[in-house]
Amino acid sequence: MSTDELPQAPAGKSPVAWDLVSVAAILGLALGLWEIVVRLRDIPVYLLPAPSLILQTLAARAEDFGLAAAVTLTQALLGLLAGLAAGIAIAILITYWTGIARGVLALAILVKATPMVAIAPLLTIWFGFGPLPKVIITALITFFPVLINVYTGLLAADEAILAVLHSLNASRWEVFRYARWPSAWPYLFAALKVVAPLSLVGAVVAEWAGASAGLGRSMWLAYSNLNMPALFAAIFCLAVMGIALYGVVTLAEQRTLFWRDTRERKEDL
Amino acid sequence: MRVTLHNLSKTFNGRRAPVKALAPISLEIASGEFVSFIGPSGCGKSTLLRLIADQLLPTTGAIWLDGQSPTVRRAEKAIGWMAQNPALLPWATVRDNIRLPLQVNRRHNRPAPLPDTLLTLTGLAEFADAYPGTLSGGMQQRVALARTLATGARLWLMDEPFAALDELTRETLTDEVLRLWKEVGATVLWVTHNITEAVRLSRRLVVLSARPGAIRALIPVPLPYPRDATSADVVALERAVREVLHA
Repeated sequence: MSTDELPQAPAGKSPVAWDLVSVAAILGLALGLWEIVVRLRDIPVYLLPAPSLILQTLAARAEDFGLAAAVTLTQALLGLLAGLAAGIAIAILITYWTGIARGVLALAILVKATPMVAIAPLLTIWFGFGPLPKVIITALITFFPVLINVYTGLLAADEAILAVLHSLNASRWEVFRYARWPSAWPYLFAALKVVAPLSLVGAVVAEWAGASAGLGRSMWLAYSNLNMPALFAAIFCLAVMGIALYGVVTLAEQRTLFWRDTRERKEDL
Repeated sequence: MRVTLHNLSKTFNGRRAPVKALAPISLEIASGEFVSFIGPSGCGKSTLLRLIADQLLPTTGAIWLDGQSPTVRRAEKAIGWMAQNPALLPWATVRDNIRLPLQVNRRHNRPAPLPDTLLTLTGLAEFADAYPGTLSGGMQQRVALARTLATGARLWLMDEPFAALDELTRETLTDEVLRLWKEVGATVLWVTHNITEAVRLSRRLVVLSARPGAIRALIPVPLPYPRDATSADVVALERAVREVLHA
């Protein structure tokens, strides 16, 4: 390798593999630092447990946490799906029915501004301890960023492309299908990157307000008993799922929006 | 397609006062003619083309395209539109971009060269499955040109289509347009601010005055194709156009 080459990832490693290495290294460093501080300063377990203890707790009750994580993940994904569907549907509606756009957006902001912590207990009273209130809270939290982003994307369709479709006398549906909808995809993915990890927060907040299963319930139980290792173990599970969801969205984005990458690459040259 | 402009004018509602973009213009363009519109920036030549393309409505006067209004002709997909921005769908391959005119407003599909024929005709065969983002500006305009041809329209409205390209690419592409125009026999309305290009391409030049655009002169170009930009006849005509523009 000559010295005048630009810095590159080590030879033989794909960029993705290199990303994984760097992520693992930085996370490992942070956890190591945490472990050292807890041990050196002798911090009591009821204030801050060391990562090693958290991992031990996780390993000892793997089945419990696995089950709770599965419940929370299912609720989060169902809520995310509902929020996504509602956000996209409303964005399309107000793009074409401009008369109601302001009113609908005002209502959406009202929902957005309402603290979900306050609504969660109410929904539990209405719908019980089952999954429904969790799905609703998650949907309410996730739909707003999707709505705003997709709405922006639908309106951001290239004027020049719209002019070409106009010259062909394309119908509204054809303009939607060939210009507006694909234009909204990059915006949709930007929203998904925010909203996918957020869906877990929605599900947990709802579970905190009363649930028969899930990580939120595990956390609430651990908190009530001042069982900090269990509380942190649940947080650890959430973090892993959040990172995984984000990764899946990023991967899907790269697969779907490959045409955007080629354009950027050309501008770089 | 025969183009008739009768007393055509356009006034925009400006922020403070109305802006007269186009003074009343009357003009007759024969079917199969190649006419260039040339004039200073802001003289309303693009406005004129957009009026004919049914993107704007005239303030006064009328436009007839083979005896029908632009609205009717656009509904029939009988107008080919091409501008400086190639306006390709970045998420679609070159072939799919060229197929676009066949995908929309299908009721008015008309006989036209097939997309694969057009790919060959415009020298894009090997890029059929490429995405626009990977192509150079010149290649992107080739795709836009092929897409215009795919409509099968007999009227091509071209608003400075190659103005953003380098001189060399521009010359190659204008020669291509000439070749395709002769093959198809379409009527071409070409807007440009490049005098040499206008003289090399068109059968007739329409020189417009500064805003509000009015016809200053109609200059026929009775030279055979292909025209050498450095030949005495072309240079003499260029000089004549310049004199009218600066008068």
